Amino acid sequence: MEQTKINTRQLFILAIMFELGSSAVIPVGTSAMQDVWLVVLIGLVLGMALFLVYYRLSQYYPGDVLTAYTERIVGVWPGRVLAVIYIVYFLYLTARVLRNFGELLLMFAYMETPLIILNAIMMLTVIYAIYKGIEVVARTGELYIIGQALATAAGFALVIMSGIMNLNLLKPVLQAGWGQIWKTAATETTFIPFGEMIVFTMLFPLVNRPERTGRTLLAAMLISGLILAAITTLNVTVLGAETVARSVFPLLDTVRRIEVARFLERFDAFFMIVLIVGGFFKASVYFYAAVEGTVRLFRMRKQHRLVYPLGLLVLIISLATASNFAEHLKEGLQISTMYLHIPLQVVVPIVLLCIAAFRRRKAERKDHSGDKSDS
Amino acid sequence: MRLGKGFKKVGEFNKNKRLGKKSGRKQADSSSTEYDGDMRNVSRAPLRDSLKANIEHVRRTTGGSPDVVVRKFVVGRNPGVEAAALFVDGLVDDKNVYDFVLEPLLQSNIPPQKSGKDLLDFIENSLVAVSGVERVSDWSEFFSGLMEGSTMLMLDGVSLALKTGTQGGQFRSIEEPTSQLAVRGPREGFTESLRMNTAMVRRYIRNPYLWQESMVIGEATQTRVSVMYIQGIANDKVVEEVRRRLKRIKADSILESGYIEQFIEDKTFTLFPTVYHTERPDIVAANLLEGRIAIFVDGTPFVLVVPALFIQFFHAVEDYYYRFDIASALRFLRVLIFFLSLVAPSAYVAATTFHQEMIPSALVLSLAAQREAVPFPAFIEVLVMEIAFEILREAGVRLPRQIGQAISIVGALVIGQAAVEAGFVSTSTVIVVSITAIASFATPTVAIATSARIIRFVFIVISSMFGFYGLVIGLLFMTLHLCSLRSFGVPYMSPLAPMIPSNAGDTILRKPIWAWKERPRLISQNNIIRQEPYQRPMPPHRTGDTPPADTGDKSPANTGGTPPTKTMEKTPASSGDDKGENGE
Amino acid sequence: MIGKWRRLVVVLICTAVLPGCWSQNELNDLALVFAIGLDLTEKGEYEMSVQVVNPGNVAGATQRGGGAGGVPYTVISATGDSPMEANLKMSLKLSRILYYGHANLVVIGESLARKGVAHALDALERNSEFRTTSRVVIARGQSAKETLKVLTPIAKVSSNQIQSMLSHSQTLWGHTVEIDVWELFHDIYSTGVNSVVSGINIVGNRADGAKQTNVQSTEPEARLVLDGLGVFKQGKLDYWIPTNGTRGVLWIMNKVRQTNITVAWQGKPEAIGYHIVRTNVSVRPHMKNGKPSIKIRVEALGDILETLVPVNLADADQINRIEKLIEHSIWKELTAAVRNMKERKTDVFGFGEQFERNYPKDWRKLEADWFSVHFPQLDVSVEVNAIIRTAGLRIKPFKRTVELGG
Repeated sequence: MEQTKINTRQLFILAIMFELGSSAVIPVGTSAMQDVWLVVLIGLVLGMALFLVYYRLSQYYPGDVLTAYTERIVGVWPGRVLAVIYIVYFLYLTARVLRNFGELLLMFAYMETPLIILNAIMMLTVIYAIYKGIEVVARTGELYIIGQALATAAGFALVIMSGIMNLNLLKPVLQAGWGQIWKTAATETTFIPFGEMIVFTMLFPLVNRPERTGRTLLAAMLISGLILAAITTLNVTVLGAETVARSVFPLLDTVRRIEVARFLERFDAFFMIVLIVGGFFKASVYFYAAVEGTVRLFRMRKQHRLVYPLGLLVLIISLATASNFAEHLKEGLQISTMYLHIPLQVVVPIVLLCIAAFRRRKAERKDHSGDKSDS
Repeated sequence: MRLGKGFKKVGEFNKNKRLGKKSGRKQADSSSTEYDGDMRNVSRAPLRDSLKANIEHVRRTTGGSPDVVVRKFVVGRNPGVEAAALFVDGLVDDKNVYDFVLEPLLQSNIPPQKSGKDLLDFIENSLVAVSGVERVSDWSEFFSGLMEGSTMLMLDGVSLALKTGTQGGQFRSIEEPTSQLAVRGPREGFTESLRMNTAMVRRYIRNPYLWQESMVIGEATQTRVSVMYIQGIANDKVVEEVRRRLKRIKADSILESGYIEQFIEDKTFTLFPTVYHTERPDIVAANLLEGRIAIFVDGTPFVLVVPALFIQFFHAVEDYYYRFDIASALRFLRVLIFFLSLVAPSAYVAATTFHQEMIPSALVLSLAAQREAVPFPAFIEVLVMEIAFEILREAGVRLPRQIGQAISIVGALVIGQAAVEAGFVSTSTVIVVSITAIASFATPTVAIATSARIIRFVFIVISSMFGFYGLVIGLLFMTLHLCSLRSFGVPYMSPLAPMIPSNAGDTILRKPIWAWKERPRLISQNNIIRQEPYQRPMPPHRTGDTPPADTGDKSPANTGGTPPTKTMEKTPASSGDDKGENGE
Repeated sequence: MIGKWRRLVVVLICTAVLPGCWSQNELNDLALVFAIGLDLTEKGEYEMSVQVVNPGNVAGATQRGGGAGGVPYTVISATGDSPMEANLKMSLKLSRILYYGHANLVVIGESLARKGVAHALDALERNSEFRTTSRVVIARGQSAKETLKVLTPIAKVSSNQIQSMLSHSQTLWGHTVEIDVWELFHDIYSTGVNSVVSGINIVGNRADGAKQTNVQSTEPEARLVLDGLGVFKQGKLDYWIPTNGTRGVLWIMNKVRQTNITVAWQGKPEAIGYHIVRTNVSVRPHMKNGKPSIKIRVEALGDILETLVPVNLADADQINRIEKLIEHSIWKELTAAVRNMKERKTDVFGFGEQFERNYPKDWRKLEADWFSVHFPQLDVSVEVNAIIRTAGLRIKPFKRTVELGG
């Protein structure tokens, strides 16, 4: 069981790196064409609402993680089954992140290298990180956030200086119509990346000032949502909505077009570095959630023994989950939304919240009825 | 080294030690031959009455070494008691021995005493004119005193000896330290004498609360080790931990502070030092004032300072004597240099073998042209050149100072140029490797530069296999490792990670001195306030030149500023965690 | 415990020694391609040519051109049914791996351009090694392969020369456009615009262009010259705008930065030369009762740098009159350009795209026959505002009016 704490600043930084980790790269919400920024913002609002559900739920059981209090809400065995489902969910998402990054690297820099090697290297780092503990990851995050922030700011500045932005490409606004926008927001951007904050419920007990957790994470969501909207807007203004919709890594295409003074160009590799760091943090948080859930579920004492086998498992899942990139995308954007994200990010937490609230009220009423009978 | 009594296998030696047994020699207890013992176990038997027997014992134990001087004399008249003074020539201060110990004893007007014991009391209380007078009753204390330079007085018929503090001897005078030069700042460096070193530090901190604890470590060397800290600023728990770790050391020899460092460091299997060492008393004083603890070892001018943080190894002492702008700029440069020396060769290898599209088109032509002539792949080239530079560097260290510099320059230039022309390496590789070498020389602390040297090779190998991806992963590994280190309980990377904003003013950029309000929180934990606020220099108040009336001695020292209405009082960090965690 | 670590270390060392750092390529195993040429053969196949640089003869050579080294680059070509197949066939002729990361120029032969470039460009856009910021030109009057072969006097690699020509010519003169593969590809698929690409021609003795002797004399035998603007319709080259008509078109596209205008004065044609330092164009669409119109506003700022007649440039009235003349001249040029485009039914300016962005509902009605009906009937008004900033270092003319020739 973790005894060390992370402070709110570290939590904030982790959340931002997590949110922006892969979403800055993989296109989300691009079926809304040039209104993708709007879709992102709506997804942000909905995601924040979802987060409030998670937060309220965890407030009923301070000091516990999601996989632990499911037992207390719905009973021991259903709760444990639910916990296992969530653990597998987190493992799967770690594998997805890994696969995303492996594919990206493969496609644009390391075409001949087998995917397993690329994934294995990243997984090795994640294993080492979680072996050392999540507070080490948090501290590393504090160090790297400076670099990431600078790189992002520099990236924006360079794109603007290259003069490749064409604000006209954002018009016509709402061409697709509100219906499409709501549909995209509800099906895509709410869950990735904002609904993924459910994984942070596994980190709540670690924070050294629990009362500020909610505020910190909401602020982090807000900021990362805004940055994400800015990035997607950038992509659209540089590439045009159609290209964004049909490209696999639109941000890469944008970065490739940076050309300032015939000297500041060819920044793909720096972009790759920023990406890998973001992906590492995202994978670490997910992996930590899975490991922590397992440790608590099986009441293990020595957490570090678990890290290697679970890591290996994640690696294998990342390779086995899809046989080519198209499958991987389809799984991610369509299938998992339907079968994984909606039930696990929305339905189950809301149901749990209702049950928990109900139980709490019942318990309070019992107390009060006890008092009343005295007077 | 145990000579002469048979050569035991290492395992057996260790086995005996592990089982708590003493070595297979005869035990030293008072029942049998109490004169035996060996280097690691000086016998604890008591002294005897007979002066002759005692002197004989001393002679036997020291093997008749001629520098153990035995001066026999008679104390008092009618009757005189036979006595002897024993000391080790060279370890004692002759003046003290002859003028203040022997001369009073050789006077003729010593009143007769009732017994030998009384005579000893009289000598102790009224005759011997030096400090550090103590009675010893067993041989281990006797020899410990003798070997540290005290004069031992023995009387016939008394089974006690008197230890008088007459330490002295020739020491190196105070010189400029060779390892940490500063253009501005004191030019004193520590010497090999423990007492002189502690005195030098005391001259900087003339405060009674600068406490010192002394202990003897090392079975054979009996080295004196002193721990200094400022009571009330230093974290008591850390002091206790230091004490504990030092007491735990049971080794034969402690020849240098490096031995101690390796025994007490937090983690051995790491490339980064967690203990800081320095030759300069002003650095030690500054660190003590921040709440750190200094460990002095007799016989070496290098003093250890704990707990040590990563960012400390980038601080040069001049940073504090110069103004904040140049200090910050230089520090920033140093961090950049360190980073450069770490990744430059690997970035070069990665760019030219994996990511050729990163290189601007004009440059890629030059590089390609150069590589045409070279038979080896870039990775091998860089590796060979790096190794060659390391060889040159080692050679430069061993050579006498005058020749060493010339050889390094000549070696680098000539050999590099010749290698290029012979077609072994390409010019760009030489440039990259030279920049790396220069950058590694510019790292302020040797300890960190050494770490960088080793890590650099690892990075070169990784980036030759996986390009920039490998390099980034390598850096991630390194950072994770750094962030997981602790030095005596304090996270190694603070105050950057965990970020403590009030202390972050002294990491890469340095706040102006009037802004240093607090001591490093995780190191000192109590008495955090360093100085009063509103120390910023300000011109005199506009209306007239008379400063406003004093509202108490809490006003700032300068004129004109509004006196603070409340002082900043911070309670000690209340995390409750014994290791001083990320209190916030 | 220690044993486990030892085994792990051994395993890791073994993996380091395993053959194949798969994506690794030494620099001198690569054939650096600096330009690509695409042609159509008579049989209808693709012919792809690449300009492969010979680094030893380019950089580090102490003497320039024709020295001990040899030619700075080689042109290799192969044919195939698609660009990718042609690419693979080239490996038969080359000792190194073709590397497209620095291929900064694409030359498309005219015949291929007329057939349609979409197929060829698709392969380029999809490939991750090739960077779509490479510039595009159309080879006019000769094949792309021949264009690539010409050695150029100032830059050792002709690809660099052509790129510089494109960039500087656009900036200083405004008669050519620098367009990259990405923009071209994007415009081809857009329904509201036709694309333009600069053309390149070889002037002089074509056959000698490829020889090193070409650059060994002060005036090369064969020179590369930018020539006209090619207009594309649906991915196919339709026609050429000659050099004297390109500026008007490019001006409306806001691609002109600096250029020169000459106006007549006192009966003398081309008497005053006005150098534009900055010019900005805004194109605004308007929709009135379903009828589209475009308002173009041009702002120009410049200096008078040449006078062939005595004119008092300290007189504000004179300056105003000259400004009016300049504005009229620009107006004439732009309206002529618009008229030409309308006649040809090619909307290179992107007017259609403007309507698509700003009046999407109306655009849907216009989209179908934009090029055939609505564009030619489009109401376009041009408004020019030119400002003369300074007149160089001299203000008044010489006191003596001397009849000067010239």
